[in-house]
Amino acid sequence: MTGYFHSIWIATADILKGMRVTLVTMLKPAVTVQYPDEKLLPFEAFRGALAFDAETCIACGLCAKACPSECIALESLKNEAGKRVPKLDWYSVDFGKCNFCRLCEEACPTKPKSVRHSLDYELVFDDRGQMTRFWKKGFPAMGRVFDPQRKEFVDPEGHLRVQGGEA
Amino acid sequence: MKTAAPPTRSSLKTDQLFVNLGPQHPSTHGVLRVGLTIEGEVIVKAEPDIGFLHRGVEKLAEIRTYAQEVVLSDRLDYCSAMTNNLAYCLAVERLIGAQAPPRADALRVIHCELNRIASHLILLGTYGIDIGAFTPFLHAFREREMVLDLFEMSSGARLTYNYIRIGGVMRDASADWAAKAREFLAYFKPRLDDYDELLSYNPIFLDRTKGVGVIPAKKAVSWGLSGPNLRASGVAYDVRKCEPHCGYEKYPFKIVLGHAGDCFDRYHCRVREMREAVKIISAALDGLPEGEVLAKVPKVLKPAPGEAYAHVEGSRGDLGVYVVSDGTASPYRLHVRAPSFVNLAILQELFVGQRIADAIAILGSLDIVLGEVDR
Repeated sequence: MTGYFHSIWIATADILKGMRVTLVTMLKPAVTVQYPDEKLLPFEAFRGALAFDAETCIACGLCAKACPSECIALESLKNEAGKRVPKLDWYSVDFGKCNFCRLCEEACPTKPKSVRHSLDYELVFDDRGQMTRFWKKGFPAMGRVFDPQRKEFVDPEGHLRVQGGEA
Repeated sequence: MKTAAPPTRSSLKTDQLFVNLGPQHPSTHGVLRVGLTIEGEVIVKAEPDIGFLHRGVEKLAEIRTYAQEVVLSDRLDYCSAMTNNLAYCLAVERLIGAQAPPRADALRVIHCELNRIASHLILLGTYGIDIGAFTPFLHAFREREMVLDLFEMSSGARLTYNYIRIGGVMRDASADWAAKAREFLAYFKPRLDDYDELLSYNPIFLDRTKGVGVIPAKKAVSWGLSGPNLRASGVAYDVRKCEPHCGYEKYPFKIVLGHAGDCFDRYHCRVREMREAVKIISAALDGLPEGEVLAKVPKVLKPAPGEAYAHVEGSRGDLGVYVVSDGTASPYRLHVRAPSFVNLAILQELFVGQRIADAIAILGSLDIVLGEVDR
């Protein structure tokens, strides 16, 4: 009989101990943020969506070789004789394949890096076609996608959001 | 008038029933199907069915270069990607005869132990949910987020780090980072007591886990268990002690042992292991040497033909990587000895004779990650 009441006592005491932790935590401020209204800024080293600078790129193709999932494609310009020159014609990244691993950025020989991770963590796409981004000279650092209806490259609306700092 | 005789146990027809335990949804990450044959409430046969998450990482490695394979190793055990990186890099370093600088070694230890904490916190939280306690999950994930913040600061990613590289680590950790890591440890130590109060000594939790799914030491060894699952049965085997790598011999820590080998021991071994991890991290942060973090290794690795094996104590057990080189830029063969895969095998014997309500408690306590099981 005493064992019965003893076990009730032990169970109540242990559960009350647990409730104390809950109560103490309840009085502390919340650690979560209300996401769409409040946005956290990632750390400087954060590996977000790839950004690209078509002006500095020398079209060496080291990034495409370093990529583990072959998501990078590029073509260099050719001179009159048909030989490749170290200037970029076009560049594309398939974000459907991208691993966000920074191997391309590490392989890039230019200074500042032509291809680099931005702080953008809000990469969203409506369809698979948008996952491939294109860059040419004059395109913004976050790239453009091809719109099959308008038959031209457009800024992916609503996708060009780079938190704090350069695009 | 004749009345029917009351049904007796022998006259009741008891059919065996086949029940699928999972998968909940085909596109969920990491699904496991266990075909259970039950008789009433008792399991008479259990067949684990794996392969839903098979991505062919070992085959893929044969067409990737050595540096690119680190990225794939992140995706094995996604709850503790650092130890996967480490096991693979150690194997390749052995193959090419490279040695990571002392600072890189210390940073590797710190990151692996932080990852062990993050990984065990997932078990602590989700095991509570499996048993029916929701609150510890929120507490555990609050602390895990802080570890992930530290990783984001040093490596730039929160889950697939690609931080430990062949010959060292990706980038140096700043003094700021070390201060933040210390801050986290100071915050985390008292939280461990909270977990014990919230979950470990909760009488309902104890009733569900004590004496359930007992694995005697002999059986654990014969099934090849490793990690906390093995140590909970009282076998003192820890790769960090038996075959120290990255200078683990320098740090003060104990092998955490259970004695009964039941679900509670497997759970509590992990909680106590987090305390040991805190000790290792503080010691490593105190003795963090200065210097380079990446040894000079050629950009394109073409190791001489040969083979190498390296294993580390991952969060879930003895994680081994075997690499065979044929002199080209990609491995001829890569094999991963995944602890979860081996730990999962015991399920077919462990489930038999248990009640169906205990099946979840047992499955949860083994702490398997399907990304590693299926590879």
